[in-house]
Amino acid sequence: KTDQLYGHYCSCLFWLNHRLKELLRAKLTECGWRDQLKAHCKDVIKEKGLEHVTVEDLVVEITPKGRVLVPDSVKKELLQRIRAFLAQHAT
Amino acid sequence: MKMEDMSLSGLDNTKLEALAQDIYSDLVEDACLGLCFEVHRAVKQGYFFLDDTDQESMKDFEIVDQPGVDIFGQVYNQWKNKECVCPNCNRSIAASRFAPHLEKCLGMGRNSSRIANRRIASSNNMNNKSESDQEDNDDVNDNDWSYGSEKKAKKRKSDKVFLHSLKQHIPLNPNSPRRSKSVKHKNGELSNSVNADPYKYNYNTGINYETLGPDELRSLLTTQCGVISEHTKKMCTRSQRCPQHTDEQRRAVRVFLLGPSASSLPDADTMVESDCYDASDGQVLMSRLQWDGSSDISPSDSASSKASTNNSDSKKPKKKKKTSLGLNSTGGGGGGSGSGGGSSSQTSLVGLSNRKKKPKLPVPPAPSIYDNLN
Repeated sequence: KTDQLYGHYCSCLFWLNHRLKELLRAKLTECGWRDQLKAHCKDVIKEKGLEHVTVEDLVVEITPKGRVLVPDSVKKELLQRIRAFLAQHAT
Repeated sequence: MKMEDMSLSGLDNTKLEALAQDIYSDLVEDACLGLCFEVHRAVKQGYFFLDDTDQESMKDFEIVDQPGVDIFGQVYNQWKNKECVCPNCNRSIAASRFAPHLEKCLGMGRNSSRIANRRIASSNNMNNKSESDQEDNDDVNDNDWSYGSEKKAKKRKSDKVFLHSLKQHIPLNPNSPRRSKSVKHKNGELSNSVNADPYKYNYNTGINYETLGPDELRSLLTTQCGVISEHTKKMCTRSQRCPQHTDEQRRAVRVFLLGPSASSLPDADTMVESDCYDASDGQVLMSRLQWDGSSDISPSDSASSKASTNNSDSKKPKKKKKTSLGLNSTGGGGGGSGSGGGSSSQTSLVGLSNRKKKPKLPVPPAPSIYDNLN
């Protein structure tokens, strides 16, 4: 049974990491989310100074805005896929 | 994800939904992080601002939003009224018409050669006052009575060689209205047998038999009248049944051109070889064959196969499978109405048509129906 579960686990991970992630990234680029956030990044950098900006600065500034900026359609579709996937694998 | 979580069957809907939401937010955060890392690397490596333009250039290339002008600031039909001078003919041409004019002027476009040839041909025809289709000047049939056409045809040979080489790629459809129209002018009879020729034979070789090789002569003579006119020394390009010449003349020509072994009139072959063979022509055909069949073919199977082998010696038949099939069907129809001589030559016909496929095959049993008529 552990073998089965492990196989199951791996396939889920694969699907999540590769298929779903790629899908989300493509959709976000398509809808302009990425460019919006990048523009925001520029503001942050100009604010903090080009030389001294750190990853943490960026993460703190960008992530909450990023979560909000995801368009509804993308969010809905992704949730749908996830639910379908879970339903499929709930054996 | 822990391994215990993988057994999802125990979870109810709310938990599943919560799980889905979790997965979703994880994914979005992952995307954000990815972007942050990318940007940070770009900043540290110094290429983050590379794709930006400076303010000055931004102003220069701003989108224009004025009426009458496109977004680049260009006027739409600015060059419409401009005129260019053609370097070839030194005329001033409107700009939008310049390219097609140049095509025609230099003679390098797709249609320019066609139009030029048509013009030449129509001007020739108007000079000659000879009867020919104004539309189909490409396939004018030169009769041997128009003296002027001899020179013109020789000139035209060079003009039209390339045109015909083009045209030979097109499958020759003997039923196309173009061809039957032009020939109906001349003959008014079995027009299709003339059209069965390849294009270039229509006027080129009707002129001068001396320039032809024996193979071309043979194939010509099987489809055309071929009688050499006394005053013009040219072969008649009409069909085998042209009213100007008798069959005796045709036979004489064949003897003269191909030697005494080819003396058998290829009339039966001609009928066989014409591409288009309607049932309506069957009656006409039968009446002709009666005249021929009585001299050449005796009313028995063995004799008819002998006659067919005779013909096969002298001629290299150009045959398409369509023809033989058409003949077989009309043979069945026509034979019923023919008399004794007709039926026997009918057998030879059928025998011939089958001979094309398998030379050694004897005459098929269909003629046996007609044997009692003898």
